[in-house]
Amino acid sequence: MAKKLMKGCEAIGEAAVKAGCKLFFGYPITPQNEIPEYMAHRLPQVGGTFVQAESEVAASNMIYGAAGSGERVFTSSSSPGISLMQEGISYIAGSELPVVIVNIMRAGPGLGGILPSQSDYFQATKGGGHGDYRLLVLAPWSVQEAADLVQDAFDLADFYRNPVMVLGDGLIGQMMEPVEFKPERTPCKPLAPKEWAATGCSGDRPTNIVNSLFLDPEVLERHNQKLKAKYDRMVRDEVRCASYGTDRPYDVLVVAYGTVARVSSTALDDLRGEGVDAALFRPITLFPFPHAELRAAAEKAQEVLVVELSTGQMIEDVRLALEGRKPIHFLGRQGGMLISPEAVAEKVKAIQASSAEVRRG
Amino acid sequence: MTTFDRRPDACAALAAPVVILVGHFGSGKSEIALNLALGFRARGEDVSIVDLDVVKPYFRCRQAREELRARGIRLVAPAGEHAHADLPIILPAIRSLLQRPPGRVLMDVGGDPVGARALGSLSDAVVPGATELLVVLNFLRPYTETVDEAVEMVRAIETAARLRATGLVSNTHLLAETTPATVVEGVQMAEATAARLQLPVVAAVADEPTARGLAGRTLPCPLLVLERLIRPPFEGTREQRKVGPLFVLN
Repeated sequence: MAKKLMKGCEAIGEAAVKAGCKLFFGYPITPQNEIPEYMAHRLPQVGGTFVQAESEVAASNMIYGAAGSGERVFTSSSSPGISLMQEGISYIAGSELPVVIVNIMRAGPGLGGILPSQSDYFQATKGGGHGDYRLLVLAPWSVQEAADLVQDAFDLADFYRNPVMVLGDGLIGQMMEPVEFKPERTPCKPLAPKEWAATGCSGDRPTNIVNSLFLDPEVLERHNQKLKAKYDRMVRDEVRCASYGTDRPYDVLVVAYGTVARVSSTALDDLRGEGVDAALFRPITLFPFPHAELRAAAEKAQEVLVVELSTGQMIEDVRLALEGRKPIHFLGRQGGMLISPEAVAEKVKAIQASSAEVRRG
Repeated sequence: MTTFDRRPDACAALAAPVVILVGHFGSGKSEIALNLALGFRARGEDVSIVDLDVVKPYFRCRQAREELRARGIRLVAPAGEHAHADLPIILPAIRSLLQRPPGRVLMDVGGDPVGARALGSLSDAVVPGATELLVVLNFLRPYTETVDEAVEMVRAIETAARLRATGLVSNTHLLAETTPATVVEGVQMAEATAARLQLPVVAAVADEPTARGLAGRTLPCPLLVLERLIRPPFEGTREQRKVGPLFVLN
């Protein structure tokens, strides 16, 4: 198929349709309204169903029920709406059901504002809802990558029987870029028939039950350990990351995800002519976080700079990855204010200058 | 000095004092409105730009407030914290600008029939004959990929706006991946759409590199050479980011 010019939200919607998603339940919120709008228009064309729920709480329970039937199910929202969905998401994880959730982050906390942010990193990667569960979290930096990751998200959700979140800052949802969908797409995981699905039982097989209630503590502990083993497999098999400029020697390693990584890569391009040696490391999976890959990339650097549209959330995973091996600096904006390539470049230059001074002694 | 300051002739084809841009969501209305505003201003005109975009939450003309002011262009848009609200705010000043334009008035309307509905509430203030209602078309956008879809989009927008379109603007592009052939094919589809609707194609749009590639080709309509003003923060060269232009997000 030839390329089209798409907003991130439209590309995300079309990606879900291309992945065979027939069911969308959601509730509008800026800056991702174009996703439900697209699905409302598009799903009837492919024999699917769009339901605007009465709230995000209801939407998350609708995706819970629909996922139990084994269909590919999708919802999207933005930060405050994702907060409302947390109860349902915890139940979905506990019941081991595959759903795809897109969060186009806006600035918080509370109602906050409608401009871009990355302040839901903790919520996405460290829980959000109650209980010992994890989401597999994918973070695109372009509209094309958003389209690709949403399609992969459905395969990953089915493979692990676990909710998968695609986490984009507001820019990912609203900016336009050329996008291409491949006509024949191979799933990114081998997919087994959904023999667990609750599709109605005539007595010819044992009853399939969707459940997250385990009153017997021994049984519930075994369930938690089974989930943990699943998350361990994600950590072993699903880490994705990218780097930029790491093929040359560098003093400063910038770590950023989403569109902030795009801003940082522009900053590094600008710095190249100025004798500043810096490279970029970009986590694509936020859970599982690329600890070992980041550690390896940081080995060649003197200093590490984390850039985020928050007061510092991913930086905690960077600290865990580096275990004190390198000094870690931070640059962040909040409230919907963006970081410019110039601000990143200035910070990198300042870090490199002070680092060189220290080494000279 | 940016490219648009050096290009005062881009707007010659438009005579009406009021130029209203409507079209599908993402078709390029804001970008064209900003370029036209700067073009008219460079010709020495008194220019007002009305941001009536009640649809998209980012990348609206109002976010270029300072840059427009610096160039002596009047911006009519919600101010203060309301500039960042996702609320359908229609300022009372718009009505008088439509009825008694102090010079050139450009209006950037929100996308789709939904966005045009805001214009519908002002349709009684639109002076026929003194107003161009231009529908911007990009045939590489979802939902306006064929002539049939474009015709349907124009008619739906006219219904919501309670106004008749007076012309089409051909803006088929793929951002940096646009080729001269992209523009030529887009113009052909716009011409076919225009024939069905009995409207003229008043302009084709191309950015500067594409326009250079079009040199020597004859288009059936004037070419508006456009500078891309609305960009995410990571795009453009350092020089482009320094001189402005109007990076339109906070």
